[in-house]
Amino acid sequence: MDLASVWQALETSAVGSFVAESAWAFPTIESLHVIAIVTVIGTIAIMDLRLLGLASRDRAVTAMSNDTLPWTWGAFVIAAITGSLLFVSKASGYMANPYFLAKMAMLVCAGLNMAILHLSVWRTVHHWDSNQAVPTAAKVAGALSLFFWILVVFFGRAIGFTLGIYE
Amino acid sequence: MGDLLYAFTEWLRTTQLTELALAISNHPLSIWIGSHFWAIPIIQTLHILAIAAAFGSVVMINLRILGLSGKRSTMTQVSRRYLPWIWWALLVLVLTGIGMVIGEPVRELINPVFWVKMVLVIGVVLVSLWFQATVRRNMAQWEVTHDGRVAIRIGAVGIILLWCMVMFAGRWIAYAPV
Repeated sequence: MDLASVWQALETSAVGSFVAESAWAFPTIESLHVIAIVTVIGTIAIMDLRLLGLASRDRAVTAMSNDTLPWTWGAFVIAAITGSLLFVSKASGYMANPYFLAKMAMLVCAGLNMAILHLSVWRTVHHWDSNQAVPTAAKVAGALSLFFWILVVFFGRAIGFTLGIYE
Repeated sequence: MGDLLYAFTEWLRTTQLTELALAISNHPLSIWIGSHFWAIPIIQTLHILAIAAAFGSVVMINLRILGLSGKRSTMTQVSRRYLPWIWWALLVLVLTGIGMVIGEPVRELINPVFWVKMVLVIGVVLVSLWFQATVRRNMAQWEVTHDGRVAIRIGAVGIILLWCMVMFAGRWIAYAPV
């Protein structure tokens, strides 16, 4: 199947053309997207800083995770829905934009990083939950998470300055 | 709404802000930012990351007040953990914000949405200071009960919504009728 025609079909869909043509839809959805992403990164960073031992050291790792993770996921769902709506309005333009592709790659990296953390060193979290030193592997995961999410913001902002250049 | 904002822009053009914006745009720093393609996107990225730090902390404090997160921590622990991050992030926000004004003075200063955002920012700072003082007075009582009075809960939701309005206005600067 020709992918280019898929992106074009998305653009000409009812939702795609509405977001593209409406005067207020794109900026409004984009504003909600920013609020959601900022919530995702703000809450994830709190967890990452705990893993790195740079903040909340007096609190158990699992307690921090329970306090932040539901809000991270809730905000992520909103970011994904609003992001998809923005995407369908100019699907071929985004797919041709290297910064959009880089942002998606960073999202995948952040997801893999989180999955690897949970499948490996997180299994023994009750041994290092409070007071003890966080294992190096978990610290590395925290640092990588911050790195990937900072790049998600940078590439996300870069898209806005380069959309249309690569078509 | 669009007409109202357009009238606001027309009025801004008649004020001293026009000369100020032009003067800033002739400054070497403004010229430097303008001639480096990545300067504005990088400043905006730092601005957004600082909002993430501030808003993440605002959310955690207010969710604790609402009894929706951090219940096993005391109010004192939660505010000691997150309050400094809000005020330091605010400093970064002001500095990067000034950077954006220097880089694109006409786009910001002769923009009705920019001024709406500035009023909202001052509003959220004043409300937060007042709220912080109120929470501090009631902190001892909250350590026991976990949740405050209805008025305080409304305040917690209100502060989160005010921050959302600031971000909303921030993004709409780019779409204002100028």
